[in-house]
Amino acid sequence: MKRKTFIKSAALTAAGSMVVPYILPSGRLFAATGSRKANHVVFCLFAGGVRNIESMQKADGNLMTNTLNGNESISSDISGAMTSLPQLASTRLQNQGTLYQQFSYANGPTGHFNGHTTALTGKYTDTNIQIQQPPQYPTIFEYYRKHNSPTMSALNAWWICDQLGPYPYLNYSLYDGYGPNYGANMLQPGTIFSGPSYAELGSPLSFSSSQQSKCDLIKTTMNGQFKAPTGVSAATGIQNTPEDQAHLQTFINTLMSNAAAGTYYNTWGVNMDNDMYNILFGIQVLQEFKPELMVINMTGIDIGHFNFTQYVDSIRKADYALYKLWEAIQSTPGMAGDTVLIVAPEHGRNQQPNSEIDTYGRYGLDHTNDNMSREIFCLIVGPSGVVKQGQVFTGPMGESVDIVPTIGNILGFDGNMPLGMLDGTNLSEAFV
Amino acid sequence: MRYKFLIAAILIAGGISSCKKESRYKYEVQEQVLYQSSAQKNTAKTPTQFISIAYNDLFNAAITTNELNTLSVDLQACGDKNMMEDLIIKNLLAKANQQIPDNNTMREDIPAFVTQTYVRFYNRQPTEFEAWKMQQLIQQNTDITPQMIYYAVMTSEEYKYY
Repeated sequence: MKRKTFIKSAALTAAGSMVVPYILPSGRLFAATGSRKANHVVFCLFAGGVRNIESMQKADGNLMTNTLNGNESISSDISGAMTSLPQLASTRLQNQGTLYQQFSYANGPTGHFNGHTTALTGKYTDTNIQIQQPPQYPTIFEYYRKHNSPTMSALNAWWICDQLGPYPYLNYSLYDGYGPNYGANMLQPGTIFSGPSYAELGSPLSFSSSQQSKCDLIKTTMNGQFKAPTGVSAATGIQNTPEDQAHLQTFINTLMSNAAAGTYYNTWGVNMDNDMYNILFGIQVLQEFKPELMVINMTGIDIGHFNFTQYVDSIRKADYALYKLWEAIQSTPGMAGDTVLIVAPEHGRNQQPNSEIDTYGRYGLDHTNDNMSREIFCLIVGPSGVVKQGQVFTGPMGESVDIVPTIGNILGFDGNMPLGMLDGTNLSEAFV
Repeated sequence: MRYKFLIAAILIAGGISSCKKESRYKYEVQEQVLYQSSAQKNTAKTPTQFISIAYNDLFNAAITTNELNTLSVDLQACGDKNMMEDLIIKNLLAKANQQIPDNNTMREDIPAFVTQTYVRFYNRQPTEFEAWKMQQLIQQNTDITPQMIYYAVMTSEEYKYY
């Protein structure tokens, strides 16, 4: 080989080795545009409004025994009302990651939808927020699907929400250049997998693959003759590819059949509440699709407006469900050892109680923008080579708006995001 | 074949000339005369309209409030609306008492079936090309059933608009 030809081919090979995509241990083809800390992030909005006095300060005992260290017993006046929950964690979650005990939801109204929107967009909101439409600014799902390289399908991004109301709107935004094309799949299991839906959606007509192909052929012919009116679009939500759509429909049909047959009824044997069921169905999604990004919430804690004792019990149940989620992640091939779990409430609750008194003589708690309703916690859990283990920040550190850039950094696409879009910064001190 | 096509074209033309006299009632949608063409459809159906119209088109009866409410919130509870609409249609098509001709009836008079299908679901006559193309598809694919055609129509783009 001539010297000039050799140098040229060697240079091309060297350049190629730097840009050619490679296969990660998880089997994922990854053309790196930023190094990843992990290939999966699950963000659990421990939502409903959790006051740090009950969670971090343990004023009524350690209500989160699967998350927090300590065996402080529950206050004797309400302990009899607590659901019996077996201890799950041998190594509590705070020892498997970094805990911010005084995280802050620093700005904006302390409303549930405001708090959710802030956590998912990385932008503080104000009183002009519209609750029956998608957020004004891009969600973490859109940042991920638009800026991750390579582009990942919508089945890699999931928003599992505990309630209807405005929450289903949080899987994509109205922001120009983002929107439903980059949104997440959204599921509100409590509605779809319930009694009335079994009757209406539980017995679909099924086509063989050959019949489905013929149906698609007919539909394609018809679609080819129709031009949608300019400026008017049907509300399609996010769009999966036809193959992903078929996969998703099969998955929902299976869950529907199982749910109708009672397969999921009180699976954990602990008088499961809606939060627990939401986590349970989120686990089904996680095991089926192994998404790179999943956000899931719980909301039952909001009973605290009217019934303090049930609020306390709801925090315990949410803690139990959270650990079930972590167990499922660690037993799911492809996600085990390669997932960072982030946990934070959307906001806290007021220092002063309201006038709602429960049967145990405890007063309810609202959330109306006082300092205590802005104080929350944040826990980041992950592999020891990724997340600092057993680290605790006891003083004020970190804000809700930091979670979006942190997820972007974990998944390695933060460097591709346009500058100036976010209010927060990466929580780098939590990582190795 | 050319002769049959000519007859079909005449029938279709006759249908178009008389279409203004027909009217049908759809839930939450004003009484409609048949459209002259799909280009006249300029409004996207709301989720509630989509479900109630689909039910009406299949069963020739109004959907109950409970059924409508259940399906509407189900549609709201999933991010991929196309997938959910598809699932809703598949479930409606699997219910009893729907008014679907059997396969023999369809194949005895394919042009009439095609025309009736367009009028029933699209509120308009098929164009000459559409009628010819659909008849050809049915004739050439003996495994295509009326149910499959109804499914394809009800999950097509045009069915999302009125």
